Amino acid sequence: MDGATATGVPGGAALLALADAALGPDAAALVQARAAVRASLGLAALIDTTAVIGAFDGITRVADAIGIPLEPPKAEQAADFFAALGIGRFREAKV
Amino acid sequence: MIRNDLADAQARAWQRLAAPGTWWTGAERVAIAAETRHARDCPLCAQRAVALSPLAVAGAHVRLDSSLSDAAAEAIHRIRTDPGRLGESWFLRLREAGMSEEAYVELVAVVAVVTAVDTFRRAAGLERLALPVPQDGAPSQYRPRNARAGLCWVATLAPEDVTPDDPDLYRAHPGPRERYGANIQRALSLVPHSMIHWWDLLEAMYQSSREMRDFAREYRAVTHPQIELLAARVAALNRCEY
Repeated sequence: MDGATATGVPGGAALLALADAALGPDAAALVQARAAVRASLGLAALIDTTAVIGAFDGITRVADAIGIPLEPPKAEQAADFFAALGIGRFREAKV
Repeated sequence: MIRNDLADAQARAWQRLAAPGTWWTGAERVAIAAETRHARDCPLCAQRAVALSPLAVAGAHVRLDSSLSDAAAEAIHRIRTDPGRLGESWFLRLREAGMSEEAYVELVAVVAVVTAVDTFRRAAGLERLALPVPQDGAPSQYRPRNARAGLCWVATLAPEDVTPDDPDLYRAHPGPRERYGANIQRALSLVPHSMIHWWDLLEAMYQSSREMRDFAREYRAVTHPQIELLAARVAALNRCEY
């Protein structure tokens, strides 16, 4: 989440940079990040990457606007890295 | 440039914005879509987004469309600009202000569709789509008789409670719709056509449940790990725990 840890996913750094730029205000950074993904993974991958980014920009709003709880099995599986990543702070900020 | 199934799903979802919905007219739905886009330019939303708490910033939204109620405008602006800090008390205030849970669910679906498509197109370097022309017709006002409270802020329709009167929301595997009823899939089920509107689009942009679980095959030009890396990043940026 802080960008300093290697993802172990091929093209991970470029994909994360595009996700960050797509949701951010810097148009120049977006152009650069898009070009990097296209150059490293190809046009079809760029389209599917940006489609996933768009999809999750939408679905996170569905989850948070409806107040959907995480299913208990998923919460149990995720408990350790939720704690490590401090994801619980998201819940504390809800008003 | 865009694969055919994605282009088709996007076109259908976009046209569905303009059709009469279940609780909103076509004109109201397009107004919600336009306000969703406009919310990113709202000074109140910009101040709230950087404040320690959105409650710390008082004021009125700068709105594009005055025909929408104050509650609708507040819902649209907050969902678009600060979704990660929405709490149930905020939702209950909307209810107290006169917004029905059914109308709210349909509004959420419209905001989600517009957000998803706009973000995709901006990220891909494609032109933003013009909003569709509203279609005439009255909302159906259909509410599933077996929708129940208890899962989240609104009532939902579980797969096992679907009746023959309900539209096909889930269809047991291996149908064309293979939604097994995870909480996120149930989220919009109080308004079945909104759930279908959203999930038909999402599955073309992301993957269906079956494709997501089929690790023996890649269905996209990016791999399962790459897809989930992106999904996790966007969720973190939006402060979404689910």
